[in-house]
Amino acid sequence: MNALSNLLRRSRINRNMRKVTMLAGCLFSSSLLWAQRPAPDAMGDPFVVTLVVIMALLALIIGLLAYVVLGSAELYRDKEKQEAALLPLEPEKKSQGVAPVVTAVVVLLLVGLPGLAQVNSIDPDAVVGYKLSDTAFYLMTGVIFVELLVIAALLYNLRVLLDIKKKKVFATNGATAKPKEHWWDKINKFKPVEQEAAMDMGHEYDGIRELDNRLPPWWLYGFYACIIFSVVYLWRFHVSHSGPSSEEEYQLAVKEAEEKKAAYLVKAANNVDEHSVKLMTDASDLANGQKIFETACFACHGKLGEGGVGPNLTDKFWLHGGSVQDIFKTIKYGVPEKGMKSWKDDYSPAQIAQLASYIHSLKGSNPPNGKAAQGESEAGEAGDDAGAQEAAKVAVDSSGK
Amino acid sequence: MIVSESTAAPAQHLTSPSLPVEKFSYDNKIVKWFAYAVLFWSLVGMLAGLWASISLFYPGINLGLPATTFGRMRPVHTNAVIFAFVGNGIFMGVYYSLQRLCKARMFSDALSKIHFWGWQGIIVAGAITLFAGFTTGKEYAELEWPIDIAITLVWVIFGINIFGTIIKRRESHLYVAIWFYIATWVTVAMLHIVNSFELPISLFKSYSWYAGVQDALVQWWYGHNAVAFFLTTPYLGLMYYFLPKAANRPVYSYRLSIIHFWALIFIYIWAGPHHLLYTTLPDWAQSLGVVFSVMLIAPSWGGMLNGLFTLRGAWDKVREDPVLKFLVVAITCYGMATFEGPMLSLKNVNAISHFTDWTIAHVHIGALGWNGFLTFGVLYWIIPKMWNTPLYSKKLAGTHFWIGTIGIILYAIPLYWAGFAQSMMWKTFTEEGQLKFQFLETVTHVIPMYVTRSIGGALYIVGAVIMVYNLRKTIKQGSFVANEAAEAAPLPKEVATHGKQHWHRWIEKRPMQMLVFSLIAVAIGGILEMVPTFLVKSNVPTLSSVKPYTPLELHGRDIYVREGCYTCHSQMVRPFRDEVARYGEYSKAGEFVYDHPFQWGSKRTGPDLARLGGKYPDSWHYNHMLDPQSMSPGSIMPSYGWLLDNKIDTSKTPAMIRAMQTLGVPYPAGYDQEANKDLTAQAESIKKSLQAEKIKTNHQQEIVALIAYLQRMGKDIKSVPKEETAIK
Repeated sequence: MNALSNLLRRSRINRNMRKVTMLAGCLFSSSLLWAQRPAPDAMGDPFVVTLVVIMALLALIIGLLAYVVLGSAELYRDKEKQEAALLPLEPEKKSQGVAPVVTAVVVLLLVGLPGLAQVNSIDPDAVVGYKLSDTAFYLMTGVIFVELLVIAALLYNLRVLLDIKKKKVFATNGATAKPKEHWWDKINKFKPVEQEAAMDMGHEYDGIRELDNRLPPWWLYGFYACIIFSVVYLWRFHVSHSGPSSEEEYQLAVKEAEEKKAAYLVKAANNVDEHSVKLMTDASDLANGQKIFETACFACHGKLGEGGVGPNLTDKFWLHGGSVQDIFKTIKYGVPEKGMKSWKDDYSPAQIAQLASYIHSLKGSNPPNGKAAQGESEAGEAGDDAGAQEAAKVAVDSSGK
Repeated sequence: MIVSESTAAPAQHLTSPSLPVEKFSYDNKIVKWFAYAVLFWSLVGMLAGLWASISLFYPGINLGLPATTFGRMRPVHTNAVIFAFVGNGIFMGVYYSLQRLCKARMFSDALSKIHFWGWQGIIVAGAITLFAGFTTGKEYAELEWPIDIAITLVWVIFGINIFGTIIKRRESHLYVAIWFYIATWVTVAMLHIVNSFELPISLFKSYSWYAGVQDALVQWWYGHNAVAFFLTTPYLGLMYYFLPKAANRPVYSYRLSIIHFWALIFIYIWAGPHHLLYTTLPDWAQSLGVVFSVMLIAPSWGGMLNGLFTLRGAWDKVREDPVLKFLVVAITCYGMATFEGPMLSLKNVNAISHFTDWTIAHVHIGALGWNGFLTFGVLYWIIPKMWNTPLYSKKLAGTHFWIGTIGIILYAIPLYWAGFAQSMMWKTFTEEGQLKFQFLETVTHVIPMYVTRSIGGALYIVGAVIMVYNLRKTIKQGSFVANEAAEAAPLPKEVATHGKQHWHRWIEKRPMQMLVFSLIAVAIGGILEMVPTFLVKSNVPTLSSVKPYTPLELHGRDIYVREGCYTCHSQMVRPFRDEVARYGEYSKAGEFVYDHPFQWGSKRTGPDLARLGGKYPDSWHYNHMLDPQSMSPGSIMPSYGWLLDNKIDTSKTPAMIRAMQTLGVPYPAGYDQEANKDLTAQAESIKKSLQAEKIKTNHQQEIVALIAYLQRMGKDIKSVPKEETAIK
């Protein structure tokens, strides 16, 4: 009989406690909403988003802590009541004990926050455009500070309560303390394996039984955290548009790279172009040019420049000019319609100058299997025999299709 | 609220003492067949994988044959491992556990047999057609339409058989394993049917019903959820049966089962777009892919935790029992892969990992660790059970375990390294603002890692061979129990319940409602992502300069699909500085509206081809297809000499054009009859340009069609003045 009424009482208390926590939750969410109201555009600023997220997280922590403190307060009070073996509890007696005090503190602080904030929000500076105003900043940091205070207060309360409990345990059991729980068991809320008979669901399938263990708390809160992340993510990229879209990311990257490149080129003596390029004759420059030639060019122009898919580079006939400036230009921009790609993204201007100089140096090397002449001779006349003229014509026809 | 139930529990399975106990038997024969099929196809599928992996550093391994090039071997490998090895593994485990969880023999032995032979027939037909080059070109759904229909029929037979068994069960409630089986069945049916919408033009050739962006969305909705509902949920079901059985421990948490089951099937389906980050899929769909992938961590880990925590109090057994060893590593790999997956879905990580070997390493943690090891654990458990004998050698099983584990590590770590290194090389610029590495340099750089990966894979196969030997010996020493005797009371009309039940118990008694609710849970995500992408025009802005392919280019595209070029080459320039510098203007959604099927690819073993058109002369392509190393020394692309000999079948052209018209490609009416004229004209012009470079070829040669297609790629947008498309 006594046990039953005890149970009833506890469930009633539980319900009340749930109400309190719900109330706290509501208050917090409203204060959160309020925090965003003064400058909705400010949600575009990642810094603001971070602050809001911190505020929300702290609020969540407060909610959880409040729940824990209230719970342990109830537990402590229940125990005390039982020990005192009082008459069946009357409703109005509930207002005694630590819990209501804690509740009051929490609620007061919660209610106080928006109130506090409202005072400041009269300041017109708070409602500015995209830039976070000082007022809003101090307001938000203020809220975070107050939240931290609340957390400290709650933690203090919790410690006090736990201390009382511990003292009680010591008082009754003497010096025998409980064996220390392993952190792994703690974070998973494991119950000892020996107690699992009490948790048996009574289900049995081909000999497989099921237990009624709680969800591991870190798992559950991890799940909530992922959901919160998702909401913030969608908000940031699709409501406030404070995160860059794929296209904007690209533009930013290109802009940044171009600035960097410009800064570098100012310093580097590398900004030659087709107008300023000079023929290089230094052996090391030509060797570098040859190296590039043998990786990039030989597939089409032959290992010795004798030509293949592409034209012969060793004769004096040129489709696009044979001066070092012309060769530089052809390499740099390519002749896409004839299959010569642009190499300016592959090699630096200095490298292209080396390459152009190397190609220039091939003139007259007369390698075996040289491809027939194409284009204009340097002297101005076309190929010097009928066959070469024919070949040049075909080449122009086919590539100009 | 559940406490009251447990007090009444011990007597629950004997609730109706008035009903006589029925005697029946479990069908072990069908399980045996599926187990043999698992053993056989595991070796076949893994060897195909080993072959494919070797061809990445030794392309000559194809022996000059079309069938054995990487482009065809890779689909054979993926299909064999997914549908043959894991598929038979699912059926083996389901047929074994479902009978016991329902206390009933399978609904129909005849249907079991049809299911078995039907499925093996599909696998054989699939292997032959893939080797022959009949493919739809959509990853993990490469099988052509007649086989798609056969899969649907066999899947329905499987469904009838399992639901028949569930309905005539002698157990009032459905165990969590069965929830997973039901969700698997209904979701795979939905995925397969929706993704296989294709228009046949001949017995073994069809075109995807969808095009470009939409095709990509449907394909990766399917592809991602094939992983979810073919490789994950059925195997979670198996875990929920075989782990508690092998460890002889109760399942850790019933509530965790409920929450992670529903959350998993609901959230999983949304995550497909994470395969398409930074592509031309609309940004909102990409973001949904990101956030649902992140939210998926917890439901996935719920399964892992429920598995690992079930072993509480039995970890001493794990040291002894090879079955538990395999299961524990399987579950751990599941946990690693399902954490890594969401991380890879974050855009900034995906920017590094996508198109590289990182993805390959990731899926193999799942495939080798989770699916492979779980299957091995189940095999080591059920074969001694069904043959009524202890395992021939625990020591050999232990050897298999270690060799397999080392194999996984040697497989995965080099590929993680290769993926990261290659991606970093792709993205490196010199200070002058040039790309630092040619694509080819980034390929040759990772070849040592490819070699190590093959060694890891080979070790894994050696382990599997040891298992086959061990199981063969076990089978020899035991005697097979074809019909395992069992008895149970029949299910009363009204199941008596005592006290307040957990709310979820309601649906556990109702398989049909379970089916419907699962279908609703898995349908929502797909519908909400696909319907807007199909119906809202702004999601795929059209470009007026994009024109349908010419008939010759269509033929070339068919060859491109047939040879599986998409297994190594992407057609998607993402909006990254390095990709624009390397390949050209980044891809736009409107460019793909005539692509049935889309060919964006998922891996860049070779460079992207989206902007290939016009980059090289025709003769370059000719020489390159004949002997890739002659044009790019060090290339690991195989030679495609047969393209120079084979002729295209121009009699198919009208049917191809008509099919495209049906799918909405705006060819003028009656063009099907004129198409071949245009085809010949274009082929002649290519022939002429080759002739100018002293290359003699016939205009009907396949190489001509392929060159036409390659030279077309990405050109539509190039011809437009730059300001219209580019941002600079």
